[in-house]
Amino acid sequence: MEATLFYILAAVAVIATLFAITEKHAVHAIVYLVTSFFALAVVFYLLGAPLVAVFEVIIYAGAIMVLFLFVIMMLDLGHPEKAARPGMGDWWPALVLGAVIAGAVVVLAASRPAAMTAGVSVIGVREFGRALFQKYGIAVEIISMQLLFALVGAFYLGRRRPSPPAPLPEGEGGRRPGEGGAAREEETV
Amino acid sequence: MIVPLVHVLILAAVLFALGLVCVLVWRSNVIMLLIGIEIMLNAAMLAFVGGAGHWGMADGQVFALMIMAMTSAEVSLALALVVYLHRRKKTVNVDEFNEMKG
Amino acid sequence: MKLYLALILLLPLLGGTINAIVGRKLPRRLTETLACGMVWGAFVCALLAFAAYRGPETVELASWLAAFDFRAPITLYLDSLSLVMVLMITFVCGLIHLYAVGYMADDPSYARFFALLNLFVFAMLVLVLAENLPLLYLGWEGVGFCSYALIGFWYREEKNATAGRKAFIVTRIGDTAFGIAIVWCFQLFQTVSISQINQMGFLMPVGVVTALGLLFLAGAMGKSAQLPLTVWLPDAMAGPTPVSALIHAATMVTAGVYLLARMFPLIGTSATVQAAIALTGGLTAFYAATCALAQRDLKRVLAYSTISQIGYMVLGVGCGAITAATFHLLVHAFFKALLFLGAGCVITALHHEQDIFRMGGLRTTLPRTFWPFLAGAICLAGIPLTGGFFSKDAILLAVWEKGGGLYGGLYLLGLLTALLTSIYTFRMVYLVFGGEGAHPHTLPRVMEWMLVPLALLGLFGGILNLPEYLGKGWLGEFLATAGVKVSHGEELVLQGIAALVALTGLSLARYRYGGARRAERLVEAEAEPTGVTAFLLNGWYLDNLYRILFIRPYEALSRFLWTRVDEGVIDDSLDRLADGLGRTGQGLGSWTNGRVSLYITSFAAGLALILGWLAWVVW
Repeated sequence: MEATLFYILAAVAVIATLFAITEKHAVHAIVYLVTSFFALAVVFYLLGAPLVAVFEVIIYAGAIMVLFLFVIMMLDLGHPEKAARPGMGDWWPALVLGAVIAGAVVVLAASRPAAMTAGVSVIGVREFGRALFQKYGIAVEIISMQLLFALVGAFYLGRRRPSPPAPLPEGEGGRRPGEGGAAREEETV
Repeated sequence: MIVPLVHVLILAAVLFALGLVCVLVWRSNVIMLLIGIEIMLNAAMLAFVGGAGHWGMADGQVFALMIMAMTSAEVSLALALVVYLHRRKKTVNVDEFNEMKG
Repeated sequence: MKLYLALILLLPLLGGTINAIVGRKLPRRLTETLACGMVWGAFVCALLAFAAYRGPETVELASWLAAFDFRAPITLYLDSLSLVMVLMITFVCGLIHLYAVGYMADDPSYARFFALLNLFVFAMLVLVLAENLPLLYLGWEGVGFCSYALIGFWYREEKNATAGRKAFIVTRIGDTAFGIAIVWCFQLFQTVSISQINQMGFLMPVGVVTALGLLFLAGAMGKSAQLPLTVWLPDAMAGPTPVSALIHAATMVTAGVYLLARMFPLIGTSATVQAAIALTGGLTAFYAATCALAQRDLKRVLAYSTISQIGYMVLGVGCGAITAATFHLLVHAFFKALLFLGAGCVITALHHEQDIFRMGGLRTTLPRTFWPFLAGAICLAGIPLTGGFFSKDAILLAVWEKGGGLYGGLYLLGLLTALLTSIYTFRMVYLVFGGEGAHPHTLPRVMEWMLVPLALLGLFGGILNLPEYLGKGWLGEFLATAGVKVSHGEELVLQGIAALVALTGLSLARYRYGGARRAERLVEAEAEPTGVTAFLLNGWYLDNLYRILFIRPYEALSRFLWTRVDEGVIDDSLDRLADGLGRTGQGLGSWTNGRVSLYITSFAAGLALILGWLAWVVW
């Protein structure tokens, strides 16, 4: 039952991703991608990682994709007829390389004896939290620093200059909505 | 585990390849390029979570969470850069931004 | 005793350091007082050490070099030999420091001068007191450096700087041999302590000891300006006269003799080395004496006479007569310092005129210089009953006592040298002080006063070690080395011969340069030197010989290496290599066209290649 569900979800994820990368309309692509991420979240849950599944929904499908939408809207990119589409010359080397890499990874993964472990081992929140904050406590600190730097960097880059190509950031100017999104993003994590 | 680890890994490989194709194809739109990167990172997370379930260790999940946190930082910076560059050149074509070549 | 020894070393070091660092800021009088006071302080400590001396002593002050089983601590060894040397060095240095106060009265860089002079005293004392070879080498190089810096003291003149470099480089040849000897000693004996090495010499085969001895001899040759490394000392007279007196006559140049005497228990076991030492000394003594005959520069005459006298000392060491060599070393230090200081007085009084043929009449106009100078001259010439007579005679006696063809020949050579010594000494005296000459200007009183104690010591230095028929030899007993045993009659006869030779020299010089004939010689000297005179004046053309033998081939080799090997092969190949790399880089650089998509595609292609290869292998 669960195995069947896994394969169905896998198919959904792959198909949604396929649609997403071939869609010329950026907003549509984002929606396809959200679908794919929801399917992946359920896969995570099935694989015994409920916490990661929850975060996948909240952060990825929720925050990050919304951030993309914000930027697309802000830059007014929702007009696919104006944007250049990738031609056949772009597609075939990409497909060849993708196929080679996917094939190679599949071969490498399948070459190992697939030892099935007995039973579904759901890793509880307690165990997860202990690993996160005890074993990888320093990593958490570093990640938090990184988020802080990203916040500062995004804030700096998003400031409005007096004239767009001015090399030195001098002016005051109002905040852009994108920054609000970025800042909120940090708070979420 | 409900399915063999190999199947999880194959799914991850397929998703990764799709993300890579997305990155390679959408040179005309930097937003789509970033979406491709997201797909690849998700594939990596899937491999981590699959490994965590396979061996019954929490470490893989912790790393999945780390990837998520790192991704949010990366996306916020990358999108801020996109906004900045779009303001300068009024385009999102990746190949237009080549001022920093050696 | 430890305190005294430490103070003996530290006082000059302290003075040198202070003068080197803040000497320029201090008042002149304070700088001078400091420099002189430190050296005299060291002399007082040496006297106290002498009073407290009961027997050889080893004092470890601090650790210095220690790595694995190699240990060279700062250990001082005080035995009778080093004690006598320390007394002599501090005393003569003290006098010369005082003299230098007068001599350098007009020189602006007095602080540098006194700092270097004090530093030299320190290095020399380290050399003398060192218990192990590396420490001795430290002092050895230290005096070498100070000598270099002081020869080129007036470095603004090209000639002086060149002379300094020449001295440094020529002595370096000997130093290299000495350094090899030290390392080899450590390899053979597993220790660098001099006293231990000296006790273990008999363990080694004679061949090894001979080789070691020859290396030590080469080191001594460099420092003591023995043949064939004599050429630097005459040029070293470019330095200020107190420096010539102190470093290049009284102390530093005798370091080679000291080294040989120090290592004699080891190297003396090889007859070959003894013969080589004696031969070197005898030949050098003769060579330098002949050169001194024709020199015109007052200081060069004295320089050659120094080389000659050190040759005597080396000859004495070569005969195993350590006492005689040390005796001559001490007395020579006194009278040669005296002569140089007197020469300094003369040169200063005559407005830096150094040509002896342009001097004259100073006997009446500069009497306070003349009489001590004359005392020094009769010591040098070995006129009977002076200190120089007894010490030189002790060496000749030892050579005679050795007997045999080689040493017999050397004895005759020594006598001949004594004759020449007497001739050139009185030639100098007659030319400088006889006849009539310009009126000199007055000298600082301190310069002339310093000559008196040295003159007394030179004249009566013989008391230090009287021949046996006149009483006992104090120095011989103090040094406790095996004296030469000869009958009184034989000794008297030999001394009579030596006295006769010296007096003959005196009368020959008087015949040729005395009285009215002096003027004839002056007229002759106006002409360009020819024949034998030119040959001797240029020191047997040794410089030119070395130029042809070493410098020319070296220059040719250098030029070959420069134009052919370096520019032709190394540079060219590197140029071509750089050129090729540059081209390659430019070719590859065209790939970086700034298109991000191309980069990503290349990146993906690389990934595909690696993964594909891995999959290929696994399959």
